Amino acid sequence: MPGHRTKGFCASAAALALCAMLAGCSGSGESVGGGKVVLRYTWWGNPDRAERTEQAVALFEKQHPNIEVQTSFSAYDAYKQKLATQAAGGDAPDVMQLDYRQIDQYASGGVLLDLGKQKAVLRTGEIDAGLLATGKLDGTQYAIPQGRGTETVVYDVKAWKATGVPLPGGSWTWSEWADTMRALAEETGKPGATDPGWSEDSFEVWLRGQGKSLYTEDGGLGFTADDLTRWWTFTDRLRREGVVSPAEQTTQLDGSVENTPLGRGEAMTDANWDAPASGYLALIPSGVALAPMPSGEDGTPGQYFKPSMFLGIGANTAHAKEAARLVDFLVNDPQAANVLGATRGIPVNGSIREEIEPRLKDFDKTIGDYQASLDGTLNDPPQAPPAGDNALQTTFQRDYDQVSYERMSPREAAENYVTEAKAELRS
Amino acid sequence: MTTTTIPGRAKPATAATPKRRPRRERQGAAWVFLSPWVLGAVVLTLLPMAVSLYLSFTDYDLFNPPRWVGLRNYVQMFTEDPRYWRSVVTTLTYVVIAVPLQLALALVVAIALKSMRRGKAFYRSAFYAPSLLGASMSIALVWRAVFNDGGTVDNLFGTGGWVNQPGWALLAVALLTVWQFGAPMVIFLAGLQQIPGELYEAAAVDGAGRWRQFLSVTVPMLSPVLFFNLVLQTIQAFQVFTPAFALSAGKGGPADSTLVYTLYLYDRGFVASHMGYASAMAWVLLIVIGAVTAVLFRTSRSWVFYASEGDR
Repeated sequence: MPGHRTKGFCASAAALALCAMLAGCSGSGESVGGGKVVLRYTWWGNPDRAERTEQAVALFEKQHPNIEVQTSFSAYDAYKQKLATQAAGGDAPDVMQLDYRQIDQYASGGVLLDLGKQKAVLRTGEIDAGLLATGKLDGTQYAIPQGRGTETVVYDVKAWKATGVPLPGGSWTWSEWADTMRALAEETGKPGATDPGWSEDSFEVWLRGQGKSLYTEDGGLGFTADDLTRWWTFTDRLRREGVVSPAEQTTQLDGSVENTPLGRGEAMTDANWDAPASGYLALIPSGVALAPMPSGEDGTPGQYFKPSMFLGIGANTAHAKEAARLVDFLVNDPQAANVLGATRGIPVNGSIREEIEPRLKDFDKTIGDYQASLDGTLNDPPQAPPAGDNALQTTFQRDYDQVSYERMSPREAAENYVTEAKAELRS
Repeated sequence: MTTTTIPGRAKPATAATPKRRPRRERQGAAWVFLSPWVLGAVVLTLLPMAVSLYLSFTDYDLFNPPRWVGLRNYVQMFTEDPRYWRSVVTTLTYVVIAVPLQLALALVVAIALKSMRRGKAFYRSAFYAPSLLGASMSIALVWRAVFNDGGTVDNLFGTGGWVNQPGWALLAVALLTVWQFGAPMVIFLAGLQQIPGELYEAAAVDGAGRWRQFLSVTVPMLSPVLFFNLVLQTIQAFQVFTPAFALSAGKGGPADSTLVYTLYLYDRGFVASHMGYASAMAWVLLIVIGAVTAVLFRTSRSWVFYASEGDR
């Protein structure tokens, strides 16, 4: 017990000390630390993206000696939670990377700064108007799209070639995909792919291939329990056959490439967004290639070009102008674009894209070529998902856990999900 | 630590005895010294608790101002949320597995250590060390690696990784707690050393064997300490979070099998942004822990034996 008391005392003493410090700081203005403006910039991603981001930030600091940028990053799941907590506490970072799914909630919750007021510093003229509009809510520009991304089937080229199964072509339907994965599994004795049943993103591609969508225009659920039952029956059957990853591996997925069956050397392919796929190179040095996502049985494409991520500025920032400068630099500066390449998707700035596309190297070129091959073949992106979607992504994975561990039938789990989703979207 | 502080504490008292200051003045000094704690209690405990109580009657998504909904969160929790009840069952299962196992192990090791002649200090520290480390995230992550598929336990016994199997994952969480039996063990050890040796000698003269001595001397003499440990560990077990969080990467998986109460609370609050609902869950937990503790105290009258009772 005395231990507890000491701890409590230390905590309160530390809190007091902190209060004193904060009071001291706020009196003098927090920007004074060494005469520099300090900006906090946070993002999610992989080590490859981190390295390039650090280089770009260093360039920015060189150009603006009076600004110091403190960066931090983590995997998507952890980032999402941390940012929500910070934002709620009124402590959102000055510059933050945002996902399409976060825009609605963050903008309507007053976390994001109106970027229209920073026009003098933050140029948007060369960004494709349609893409730029995805960062708007009720006519106000809250976030700037940073890149264009689309989903892909990433595969281990060398290992695939060794199996003798023909490499994927320019398009395939879901049943052709399943047959190919089955052939791979037979050749190698390992699953061909990550079980796509866990992923709301993959489900969306499948759904759109049938002309449906995740959400209706007024933010309701765009599909029925029957649709989801059919999807999960399809994936569950493949799992039982050993064609896709077993439950033990699927349950570990958290958005990082390291925890995917492909990243762990347990499968030949993985469905992912194209930009983070660069992270696989560190795990599979012999190289990975990109194939399109499977389409509907009549050839309707389900995947789409999506603003891969956004940059937003905290509404409470003390340095709106400097923060806007950093955003402008990351989106519009040719030098930054050179360093960043396609690590956040193909750049959205038209002239930069034209300038760097021919010069893209290595995996950036793979992504560029992949996107070029799809240009003009895909349908329009859906509107930004409603706020509740953020929680539903996790719910989707949990409910599928019940299927893959054979604790619920696909129908039971699907009905569960639809009930939960409706409650989430209503509130 | 206590041995060093006691003389330090005693000093000012003896120095002050010859010339006593007026009462008011001494009280003032007390308040000055107490103020960090009082401030801490108000700012860090009471205020957040009051806010949380208020939030439990609201719909609050962290971003927009809280909206008053009355008892809706509580109604939803008890009548419309199957996952809530799953978390309740999971937590009770965990408490029933972890607490008795941990106390039994602590008692066995304490008895073994008591009769040891050499190296007692070393073993005592060695067994206590996990309790110091155990609450930390890093150890929980090590545990995850050990029980993961392809982990140490899997390689040795071919278990396929407990943390990935719904039937076993909760046991892996419980084992992490059981492994930290050091704190109750030290308390047991202190209790054991208080039992007068004559009692054992008398029992031996009466022909009691080891087991009989344990049941008729050790258990009743140790019952206050046993009770203390039971209450403390039960309260802690109801609040288990870190091991479940780390072993399931924050998800309570696989298939909700390690979704203990506090983890679901965290999920509702910080993942799904339903702070009002999470607050309501926290208050229900507080009340339940209070009730369970009260029940334990009630039953203790029939099995806890205090030596002083004989004098009354």
